[in-house]
Amino acid sequence: MKYAIKMTGSVQQVLRAMLADPAAPRYGLEIAKLADLETGTVYPVMARLETVGWVESSWEDPELGVRERRPRRRYYQLTRDGAEQARVALAEISRIRDKRRATLSAVQPGTLGASL
Amino acid sequence: VNGVLPLQAQADPLAVLREIVQAARPDADLGLIRRAYDVAAAWHDGQIRLSGDPYITHPLAVATIVAELGGSDQALCAALLHDTTEYTPCTSAELNREFGLEIAGLVAGIAALDQCRNASTLGQAIAAVEAADPRVLAIKIADRLHNMRTVAFVSPGKQFRKATEAREVFVPAARLLHLETVGSELEALASATLSRARHVRSASGRLLTAMAALLPPDTRARWREEWLGELHILPARRHRARFAAHTVLGVPRLAVTLRRPAPGSRQAHP
Repeated sequence: MKYAIKMTGSVQQVLRAMLADPAAPRYGLEIAKLADLETGTVYPVMARLETVGWVESSWEDPELGVRERRPRRRYYQLTRDGAEQARVALAEISRIRDKRRATLSAVQPGTLGASL
Repeated sequence: VNGVLPLQAQADPLAVLREIVQAARPDADLGLIRRAYDVAAAWHDGQIRLSGDPYITHPLAVATIVAELGGSDQALCAALLHDTTEYTPCTSAELNREFGLEIAGLVAGIAALDQCRNASTLGQAIAAVEAADPRVLAIKIADRLHNMRTVAFVSPGKQFRKATEAREVFVPAARLLHLETVGSELEALASATLSRARHVRSASGRLLTAMAALLPPDTRARWREEWLGELHILPARRHRARFAAHTVLGVPRLAVTLRRPAPGSRQAHP
């Protein structure tokens, strides 16, 4: 299946992290921590996800930042459509992976070498 | 100055101010306040704030803050007129003729406070503030509060100066006059601005700013502000340096992504 975005490993990690609580708005540093990725990987992924409409980003209410005496944050949130497509894509990827793993484990140790 | 029309014909710009004043003092001289507004609006006509709003919105906002503090009719008029003698050809003598000695005196006091501040150190500014008429001081504090609420529109250097002065001079002044809510809001605004300014000037901040310049022009400001904001979350300098280094490594890919949306994608919204 062809997705709107190339489902690289880091894209999958980001989507899994965000799908853990799909409605929660999260800032970049937070996503990096949750997905266990470096920020240099996360921001380009977020930009791509935003381009295809799976994620939306917006500034928080500046008054909130002022109350906590800090600059305003940029928050990312899965769109309804994005969350749906991400779930479908991740499910299919793990199905393919499971199938591949099953095929490999069906081969008896040593027999693969013998048949070659 | 008779017959000056309010700037916006659709809604009365004085509605909010009038409501606050009437609730606090049913005997307030609304005619006098209206006249001060009209005169100020006429003098500031054509002037625009950095936010793009007509200039008169600033004295009006200051007067509204003064009204919330329970200011007298004279204080409200002075708040509305506080920038006329400094930023328009209007003179103190003209205000005196139009509104009498008391209001003209308050406006002159505000201008004098600005003058001494421009020419002196922070310590002298504090001394001048402490010696000033409490009404003049309250208007000046309200003035700075509104300026800090809209500080995003001025240059980073000026933001830093305004915020430092707000914290060193005006927050203590507000406490001196027992204007606790104004003092707290001013302190919060100044601290948020200063913490942002601190990160802008740090090595990590400068590195991120330099790298943001490699992104498409219409996206630079957003990513720069986003990253500088993240710097603030990180507790120690080495965390910030690490964040900046890693983020910078992703900039080339980010630049490509932002220039060329993925194939088959929807049109990106700017």
